[in-house]
Formats: sequence, C-alpha cells, structure tokens
Amino acid sequence: MTAQAVSARPDAPALVEARLESVRDVGGRTFLLRLSLPGPAPQPAWPALGRFAKLRAWAPPPAVPLLDRPFSIHRSAPGQVEFLIRRLGPATAALTAARPGQAVRLTGPLGRGLEGTAELAAGRLHLAAGGAGLAPMASIMERLGAGARLFYGERTAEAQVDLAWLQSWAGEVEAAVEDGRGYGRRGLIVDRLDEALSHDPRPIFGCGPPGFLRALAVLARRRQTPLLVGAEAFMACGLGVCLSCSLPLTGGGRVRVCREGPALDGLTIDWEAGR
Amino acid sequence: MNDQAPRPAPPAVGPADLAVSLGPLRLKNPVVAASGTFGYGLELADLCPPARLGAVVVKGLSLTPWPGNPLPRIIETAGGLLNSIGLENIGVEAFVRQALPPLKAAGATVGANVVGRAVEEYVGATRLLAQSEVDFLELNVSCPNLASPGGLSFGADPDAAARLTAAAVAAAEGKPLMVKLPPLVADLPLLARRVEAAGATAISLVNTLPGLAVDLETRRPKLGRGFGGLSGPPLKPLALRQTLLCARAVSVPVVGLGGAFTAEDVLEFILAGATAVQMGTAILADPTSPLKAIEGLGRWLGDHGLTGFDDLRGSLQLD
Repeated sequence: MTAQAVSARPDAPALVEARLESVRDVGGRTFLLRLSLPGPAPQPAWPALGRFAKLRAWAPPPAVPLLDRPFSIHRSAPGQVEFLIRRLGPATAALTAARPGQAVRLTGPLGRGLEGTAELAAGRLHLAAGGAGLAPMASIMERLGAGARLFYGERTAEAQVDLAWLQSWAGEVEAAVEDGRGYGRRGLIVDRLDEALSHDPRPIFGCGPPGFLRALAVLARRRQTPLLVGAEAFMACGLGVCLSCSLPLTGGGRVRVCREGPALDGLTIDWEAGR
Repeated sequence: MNDQAPRPAPPAVGPADLAVSLGPLRLKNPVVAASGTFGYGLELADLCPPARLGAVVVKGLSLTPWPGNPLPRIIETAGGLLNSIGLENIGVEAFVRQALPPLKAAGATVGANVVGRAVEEYVGATRLLAQSEVDFLELNVSCPNLASPGGLSFGADPDAAARLTAAAVAAAEGKPLMVKLPPLVADLPLLARRVEAAGATAISLVNTLPGLAVDLETRRPKLGRGFGGLSGPPLKPLALRQTLLCARAVSVPVVGLGGAFTAEDVLEFILAGATAVQMGTAILADPTSPLKAIEGLGRWLGDHGLTGFDDLRGSLQLD
C-alpha cells in the first residue's frame, strides 16, 4: 500500500491489509475472528490488554457502512490478532460472515490498555464483563493467570457464549443471566461481584455498555475498590480527532475513549452526564 | 487526413505540479484537511503526515476552552455522518502555546478555524492567532451545532457575515483569512460577494447540512443535543453546486468541501471552480485518504497530459 505511513515507534498505529485466518461461531451471536498480519514473521505480538483496532471487511469508503468499526483486541500472538465480535448490525454481519482468506482492513493497535497500571502490576483483578464486554478479557487472563477471576453477565440465555469455550480460556467463571434461563445464576452479574468483593477484595476491570459501567462505578465506590474500565462510545475516527467519544470527568475536563482510553479510571468519569 | 508526414511527438510533459495559490498562500497541493477531522494537526501523523497535505485546518478554536455537547455526538446515517460535537476545543491560547509549535516544526501549512458566540469573541481569538505562526485563518460562520447566537447565526445573514468578516480581517493584521460558509442560504452569491467585499482572502464551503436522526423506540433524537450537521457523500452534489455558484460570484479563491473522498472528487470540485478542496469525513473513514487523493491527482493529470490545474479550474460547461 503506497499511501501507508511508516513510523519508528513499535506500537504506532498502522493501516494494513490483514488476512482472515478463521472465523469461529462461539455462541451468543458471537464470533472469534483470527487475522494474520502482513509482513515477514516473526513479528512482535500486538499489544492487547484492553487496546483496540478498527476493522473493515467490505468495500473501502465511501461504500457503506461508511466507517470502519472499533473492536477490543481479544488476544494477540506474533503475526496474529484475534477479535471477539457480536453480530449486531450490517458491519458486524459483514465481518462475521467473511470467509477465511478474505482481506480485512485493520487499523491499529489503538488507544491505551492496562499496561503500566498499578492494578495490573499488582497481579490480582476481578474482571467484570457485560455482554460483548467479554472481548478484552482473554489477554488479561493470559497475563494474570489465577490472579484474575472472570465475572460474565448477559441479559438473555440466547446472548450467552458457549460455556465450554468460555472456560477453555477463562477457567472457572462466575456467570449470571437476567432471564434465568441460561447457565450461571439468575440476576445481575454486578450483584455476584458485590458478593465476591465482601470476602475477596480486588481491583476491578470492567468492560461493557455504559449502563453496566455506571453500575460498576456505584459498586466500586460503595466497596471502596479501585475500578478500571474498558470504556465504550461511538467512534468515528478511533484516532483522537473527531471527539465523538469524549467523556466528561467528575473533576472537570474530558477524556477520549480512543486515545486516553479505552482503559480509564472508572471512578473519575461522570457517568451521570447526558443520561 | 492527407498529410502523410509523421506526426510530431507530443511536447514532453514534465511531472505535474500540484501546487495551487490561495491568494497570497502557496499550497503544495490542493488537498486540505477540513476542520474537526484532523485534530490539532499531529494526532494522525503516523498515518497521514500533515506536511504532505496542501494544508491542515485544525479543530475550531474559541477564545476560551469549550466543553462541547453531550454524547452521542456522531452517528452514521445512510451514506454519511450526522454530528453534533459542539466545538469542544482547548481554546486558542493553549493551541498557540502547545499544539502549534510542533505542528509547524513538522512542516505543515496550518489554517486555524475560528469560532465564537459574539463578534468580540471571534475578534479576540483572531488577534491571538494573528500573532502566531498559523499560515491562515478560517472564520467559521456556519457551525450548525451552537445555540444562537454564534456560528450559523452569522453565516445565515449577509449583513452579519460581512460585519464579522470586516472585524476579523482587521484583527488578522494581514494574515490571510478565509470565511467558511453554510450549505444553504437564501442568496449564496450575495453572501459570498458581501464576504469578499468585507476583505476575505478566500471562501470555503460548504459546512455541514443541518439534520436530525430519530430513535423510534425512545422517541428522542439519536444525538445527545438533538439536531446535528450532515457530512460525507450525501453532501457532495449540493457542495459541488454551491462551489460553482460561489466561484462564479466572486474573484477570490474558493475552497470546496462536502463529501470529497477521492482524487476524482477533488477534480470535480476544481472543475466547478474550486482552487483547493477540503477532505473531512473521508479522513474519519480512512486517515490515509488525502495521501491517496494526492497520488491520484498526479496520476490523473499525467494521464491527461496536464501539468497543473489551471486549465481545469472552473472549466465545467453548464450548457
């Protein structure tokens, strides 16, 4: 690609044509996509731990959907990156219907993850995933091993990923489902996490929709527990220029999910703004 | 043909010169990053080095920092984007002190987009920028996402636009000043002529088109602030028409924008009369799109035996 810029920084974002290696249906309308990066192997693995990338598996702009879509990096290995993608609209339908061998435009790695945080360095975390917020957890589990416990909540049984697949990388999982028909306990995963905090206090890393993160912030304040979030907001650029994902802070000022985040201090974000 | 003599070889055509003149400003090519899509100029440098573009227009700057509008601020509509960012920005002082020096050091030609809620705010921001290293100003009289007064309320009224332009030109102290116009006004040629007569060095158009997206289930607008501004490919036919009408009404250079994604789009704007073309939504969709467009322009000129844009500009035949 002649227009591709080359940067000296190893983790500088690049726009590359990746190749889809495999697509695996893991249940709950959710698919695991493995992409191979162009260029000679071996390469250093992409950073994961809450960072993200933009994907496009359809014709280039101005074709619709107009914008590439941002996704957490599920896991990475030298020359390979994995994404966990829930089929929700036309863009995720195109991505999850793509065939092995197909070219996928990949822009990344983007944003900041948990690397460098005291919470990760301390080695013990409760990981709280709401729905598709499951995506960034695998690389953190890989890093922390038994130091991380996964809490996974869904609204309905239909949205739950296959338990056996989930356990294959997460080990023992605390699950909850609001409709009570799937695996795990009936109710909210935030309540399961609350119970766990009473006898096993650890910092939390939470990822999921804004309402879920707001509930985690309420819990973390009450339990006086540090809270990091993998925040989610609509992004047009994912690179810090459009300001569509700019979240207000309780102490004034704002942060961009795509640049200062997605891994952010959940207790500093003003979750009540714009409700 | 009865002349059997061998036809002389076509004159050797050198590599195309993409440079254009925007009044006193020389741009190395006609592709300019539109305000609000290129940050403060260096955020996208890994993918799109700003020095490669004709110019970059940075995020709209107000006299004091603005927090912008509530989320959601952008949604995708059929083929385009609807936004109501609300001009969140760090303010002109922080820009001049922190963001501008490294951007100039990177070799970029820099335009500063200026916003305000009152003439005095525009003038105050313009004064600070006049003393800075920015290469030109873009007076934004056409943002649809501000409560009145401010932004669009100036651009919708030729008298107010002319008064504001004259005040800003005086405050700019000789720095080139481009005025960015809205897409739909009662009499565009009149507005453009009034702005030109007030001293504008150039005119850019169009800003986004006011719009609304509806959430059927919540019975509320999809954007946090309600209304927004439509950008991207749906805007291109309107933008081409307004570029043409404006270019035929004034003698200062016109910078066209609205849905340009490719070299071919840029060339269409030039045919309509534009001297330079801003790309905006295209950068959000692909930050390398300006580089691809610049490459494509050189290729297209070469393929057509042209060495520059002079024979193309404004050459669209209407009848």
